[in-house]
Amino acid sequence: MAAPEATAAGPGVPRDAWRVRDIVLLAPKIVLTALLVLAIGDMVVGVLLRYVAVPITDRLDLDPINFFWVEEVGEYSLAWLTMVGAGIGIAERAHFTLHVLTHRLPMAAQRAIHLATHFLIAGFGALAVWYGIQLAIVNSQLTSPALEINLAWLYIAPAVGGALIILYSLGAAFGPMPEPESFDKAGVAAAGND
Amino acid sequence: MMLAATGIVFAVLVAFSVPIVFALGTAAVMGLVLGGYSLEMLASSLVGASQNWILLAIPSFIFAGTVMERCGMSNALVDLARALVGWLRGGLGMSVIVVSYFFSDICGSKMAEVSALGSTLMPPLRRAGYRPEDGASLIAAGTAMGMLVPPAIFMIVIGEVTNVSVVALFLAGFIPAAVIGVCLCTLVAIQAHLLGWPKDTRPSLMFLLRALRDAAVPLVIPLVILGGFYLGAFTATEAGAIVALYSLLAARLYYRNLSWMQILRIAYDSAVLTAVVVFLLAVATIFQYLMGVTGVPLLLGEILRPLESAHWLFLTGVALITMVFGMVLEGLPAAVVLIPVVFPIATRIGINPIHFDIVQTAAVGIGLFLPPMGVGLLMALRFAEVSVGQHAKGYWPYVLALRC
Repeated sequence: MAAPEATAAGPGVPRDAWRVRDIVLLAPKIVLTALLVLAIGDMVVGVLLRYVAVPITDRLDLDPINFFWVEEVGEYSLAWLTMVGAGIGIAERAHFTLHVLTHRLPMAAQRAIHLATHFLIAGFGALAVWYGIQLAIVNSQLTSPALEINLAWLYIAPAVGGALIILYSLGAAFGPMPEPESFDKAGVAAAGND
Repeated sequence: MMLAATGIVFAVLVAFSVPIVFALGTAAVMGLVLGGYSLEMLASSLVGASQNWILLAIPSFIFAGTVMERCGMSNALVDLARALVGWLRGGLGMSVIVVSYFFSDICGSKMAEVSALGSTLMPPLRRAGYRPEDGASLIAAGTAMGMLVPPAIFMIVIGEVTNVSVVALFLAGFIPAAVIGVCLCTLVAIQAHLLGWPKDTRPSLMFLLRALRDAAVPLVIPLVILGGFYLGAFTATEAGAIVALYSLLAARLYYRNLSWMQILRIAYDSAVLTAVVVFLLAVATIFQYLMGVTGVPLLLGEILRPLESAHWLFLTGVALITMVFGMVLEGLPAAVVLIPVVFPIATRIGINPIHFDIVQTAAVGIGLFLPPMGVGLLMALRFAEVSVGQHAKGYWPYVLALRC
């Protein structure tokens, strides 16, 4: 059997393995961006339908345009965006975090807290997966009023989000410790929504 | 007992740098287990709270604000503010306050605002002879005031948490912000005379007209928002969609300085920030449920009873607590942890919900820029390259003006 080809990313790791890893890491980010575009695009379409299309159909006495689906598409995309983004937020260190004590401790203690924190987060993710699946099963007999899609598609979002939380928190747990400077940046960046 | 345990777990986890949302989630899960409640509400709360039409305003305002900041709309606003008041003594300082008001109108993110104003205004402030700590004070105080100028993401969140119309909060914020702005400009004028701050040369009419023309593109946004709300034409969520579309068109067709790749990157960053905010709100609903069933509002009501005799005393007391929460926990966690507990007491003793929300919004704004650890202040100090200690001495008049 041929030895795995060395790559720039790491010696002894097959190039295909890195490609797969990159795709796995990139896919949620693409989905997250697409969900934001969908949410905003949906609202823009809703505004255009309400303020442009409806007056036109009223004036020309045409059949009214049904846009009840706008609200559902927007709400469902926000729910999915939240769950997918909650996991990615761990990798981006975007969640609000207070840094007053940990970075003053010895390195070994910092490392232990770093690991414990991410295991705790992974545990929370595991609960979201378990109860998210239960919730999706319970709601799988129902359909949404406007889009008429199976509500399991909505209620499975916490389970998917939980899985991403596990993935990213374990990735962070075994990854390098963040620098104190980047801790500050993360704190400041996270406050961007105020 | 159960409540004390969850509170201690939350505090310890936060102190050990566990992200606040997961500290809250862990404490809530522990509370549910100790209280014998079903953990099934974990998943249903996450979906229920995030599947929300009003909160859809958040991604669009964050996206629009970031697009506008990146394509340089803040520069046009700075030029206009300097043309309007820069020729007065301390006019450059006043223009920081004026531009903060304008910029808060188009940008829902405080940190994007500090970043835009810090990078745009700190160099001219230094060149004009302002000390770096004075520059930082001006930017911090102006941005704190801007918390009340819609569209603020905090207002959307507090409106949702307290079940108050976001449009009503947006409309209620303009005038208190203007009053604080006048207080700050008066303070700047006094300081300018005491410290001998310089004034710009008086602009020509042509310069003023050119500044007005350049600033017209960003200034359409507050006009649309304010006009639309006053006329009852659209909701906060629809306003967000309109502003997002407008900022995208302005960036692509007027400024032409953002590529599609850059716009996608902004969309990604906006999505991450949106998720962080809404996820926090969703997890907090479990905590709020726990506090509700264990009678925390009643307990707190008893503690705060001495303040209930006078509305102003109650509002001030709660605002001081909110300010400290805002400084330590940052704005949004403060809103989801503290406000739901004290809000029922405020309404019970007859305080207008909109008034209450506006006061707390202002308090969180001040808290964000309060030394020693207000995150907004730390960012402003980074642009000024001064330490908290160096800056604090000259900052207290601004904090007092904000409190007025």
